[in-house]
Amino acid sequence: MMRLDHLPNQRPDEHVILFLRRHWFALLAIGSAFFLLLSIPLAIGFYFEKTVADWLAHPVIGPFLAIIGSIYFLSIWLVAFLEFTDYYLDTWIITNERIINIEQEGLFNRTASELDLAAVQDTTAEIHGILQTIFTYGQVYVQTAGEKGRFHFKNIDDPEHVKELITRLVEEDKRRLSSLGAVAQGKVKSVVK
Amino acid sequence: MFDIPNIHIPIYVFLFVFGAYMLFYLLYSLFNIYHLVRYGVYGFGLYLIITIFTGGTILLVAGSTMLLMEYDWTLPISLNDAATFSDETLFPAL
Repeated sequence: MMRLDHLPNQRPDEHVILFLRRHWFALLAIGSAFFLLLSIPLAIGFYFEKTVADWLAHPVIGPFLAIIGSIYFLSIWLVAFLEFTDYYLDTWIITNERIINIEQEGLFNRTASELDLAAVQDTTAEIHGILQTIFTYGQVYVQTAGEKGRFHFKNIDDPEHVKELITRLVEEDKRRLSSLGAVAQGKVKSVVK
Repeated sequence: MFDIPNIHIPIYVFLFVFGAYMLFYLLYSLFNIYHLVRYGVYGFGLYLIITIFTGGTILLVAGSTMLLMEYDWTLPISLNDAATFSDETLFPAL
């Protein structure tokens, strides 16, 4: 279990500035799909109530229908939960010294990467389309000098604010390193589990 | 002359399919919960999510079990009687 007050490889004086997940619109999409898949068979059953009751009372078709129904409702519950887990475990953590990117892809792929703020060269915020404009969510790309140096914050809330925050933190981190007399040699470190 | 034998299959064979599905459901759920506990952010929200999922699963399984318990699972299906399942009385609303 991850604790925000005790990050992996936490450095002295490092603290969390921002903890991000995808915008709540992603949750809305999961919830809407779940309720749609739940309500369609229920609505059909309600509309053809007598027919469905007759089928369920049938000694052979009844058990078959009951099992199919049970499997269907359990499946949409499980799939909704799997999708929620994917949403919940996709996180971006911005500290005063680095950016940590944790991505869950399905149940069996997980990527955790970190990037020193001093290595950031450019930050871009993008908002595309009607929905993203109305609900103020979009993408943030963090570019570094390294080959793998592009972090993608997917569908996060208020990308402009996040971009400005990262830019400000990068400046502060560079000033801090200069005052320490250190040469910023940051790079992307990636761990795939 | 070739006669098709009158084969009887008990309807509890459906339960084997349901049992296999439940095993798959259990394994996938446990694996998912493990992921949440292992990699999720510590806090009340994490426990709430796991409780909601487990509670929903218990309700669905309990509802399914109560529905399935109402049937006589020893009843055999005769393949010769299979044609009667398409009886017009099965579609009274149509």
